[in-house]
Amino acid sequence: MTTAALIHVIVSGLATGSIYALVAISLVIVYNATRTLNFAQGEILMVSTFVGFTAYQRLQLPLVVVLPVAVVAAAALGWAIERLIIRHAISATHFDVLILTLGLSLVLRSAAGLVWTHDEFPFPPLFTNRPVALGPVRVAPVSLGIIGAALALMLALYLLFAHTRLGRAMRAVAQNQRAARLMGISVERVYSASWMLAAVVGAIAGVLIAPVIFLSSKMGLVAINGFIAAVLGGFGSMPGAVVGGMLLGVIENLAPLYLPSGIKYSVPFLVLIAILLVRPGGVVGRPVRRKV
Amino acid sequence: MRRAALALGLVALLAWPWASPRYFVFLASLSLVNAIVAIGLNLLSGYTNQLSFGHAGFLAVGAYTAALVTTRWPDVPVVVTLAAAALVTGLVGLCLGVPCLRLEGLYLAMATLAFGFVVVEAIMNLDWLTRGNDGLRVPAARLGPWALSTDTARYYLVVAVAVVMVWAALNLARTRTGRALLAIRESEIAAQASGVHLARYKALAFVISAVYTGVAGGLFAFVVGFLSPDAFDVFLSVDYVAMIIVGGLGSVPGSIVGAVLLTVLNDSLAGFQNYRPLIFGTLLIVSMLFMPGGVASAFRFLKGERG
Repeated sequence: MTTAALIHVIVSGLATGSIYALVAISLVIVYNATRTLNFAQGEILMVSTFVGFTAYQRLQLPLVVVLPVAVVAAAALGWAIERLIIRHAISATHFDVLILTLGLSLVLRSAAGLVWTHDEFPFPPLFTNRPVALGPVRVAPVSLGIIGAALALMLALYLLFAHTRLGRAMRAVAQNQRAARLMGISVERVYSASWMLAAVVGAIAGVLIAPVIFLSSKMGLVAINGFIAAVLGGFGSMPGAVVGGMLLGVIENLAPLYLPSGIKYSVPFLVLIAILLVRPGGVVGRPVRRKV
Repeated sequence: MRRAALALGLVALLAWPWASPRYFVFLASLSLVNAIVAIGLNLLSGYTNQLSFGHAGFLAVGAYTAALVTTRWPDVPVVVTLAAAALVTGLVGLCLGVPCLRLEGLYLAMATLAFGFVVVEAIMNLDWLTRGNDGLRVPAARLGPWALSTDTARYYLVVAVAVVMVWAALNLARTRTGRALLAIRESEIAAQASGVHLARYKALAFVISAVYTGVAGGLFAFVVGFLSPDAFDVFLSVDYVAMIIVGGLGSVPGSIVGAVLLTVLNDSLAGFQNYRPLIFGTLLIVSMLFMPGGVASAFRFLKGERG
């Protein structure tokens, strides 16, 4: 295998990895606020992408509008779910909330199937798929577009968390809820903001990936690889989520070159089991310590 | 009173094939098989707080073991076949359970979820053994000179096994092991301080749970008669979680009620496949928000006990 071909595979791996990283970030945002693993994240992503697609197709709006429409839909959905369901179970164990989000994911997927059917729809491409040559290396602009958009979003998130009041409040709540409340932070508002922000990040990932994997009620399954990416980087850490996502994308794309083809779909899960056994804190994370 | 109700229930169970059409005999068998899985999952999740999203994987291991044993050696009595299914699944449970001791909460949920996926992929890829996606036809189970080839015969087999498994589960709570598991549920640290060997008992819970599911898998193979990997996808694991949530965590009668309820519901929604996840999901959310102890706690409430 030539170096150029190898680079091509790695670039498309990084593109897939960017999507995993975004989904992982959205899971981590929710986890840091409400200590919940959101099983419905993939379905929120799927539904908001569908809403954007419908606006484009039915209302004949230009393609540029898909993203803002999807983002607004996602924010509304995230707000509603947190406010109407999760907030009521705030004193429940994380086990219970996990079951709630699991139920939500079933409901959302099924409802999407009823509204939009379970068919696959070709999503209008934002970037062309025809490879361009950069020196000896041929890469697809769609890969570069996804990587670029994802990196821009990550930078925006970094600025949000590092330099705004809301971002600092979210970080404070992630560290210690009681202390954050005593400092005058409205923890409830952080819950709402976190669920909305997570949904928005997911929706952007959805619009980016939909032209590649088709739009369907099953596309929420991408969240499973997002989970794995988050665990890979150490659950709860944002930089970890980015590293984990990229790593998983590249491993997933490289593995079929060296392993029998039948094993392809198991690769992310084998990676997950391996990482949980060897370093449950993630590749870049510190080992988890538990207080008595 | 209690004894009379129990006797009445047993008579009803035995008389069922004569009182109902053939299809309902099959449905009753399937309900009981699912009840065994639900009890097994509840021993793990309800007793030691280890949530598993991979029990469809254990069910598949049990089912394929039983099917392959019967295909290779058709004369082996069904009791031995089920024991083999239990043994193999128990070993798989041990192999998964021991490394999973390091994990808890959502990490464990993810690891078991991954296990479920890997089992299905493995079945698809080992097609020289399992026939992969083409599926595997299961020959009738044999018990000595009889071939259990009718729905009624299979139903009685399931009833006999289910009664033993339920009896064992009910009595487990009164043994040293059962008390240790319950202590772990209440507080791992307190249990450890009282001399419960945490790692050993948590691994044991995994093995017991896998054995229950493996036996149920063996029965599943005979009741359904045809196995293919897509029957054991992650949604089946989710169904089992739904059964114990609706029925009540940590309750054996609750597991049975939840399993029967959801199996019958699942079947009556067969014509409305698109609405099935919608109703199951709503059921999960509603029972978690308004009835966190499941049907079992609602019963206790009606009887005037405080749950």
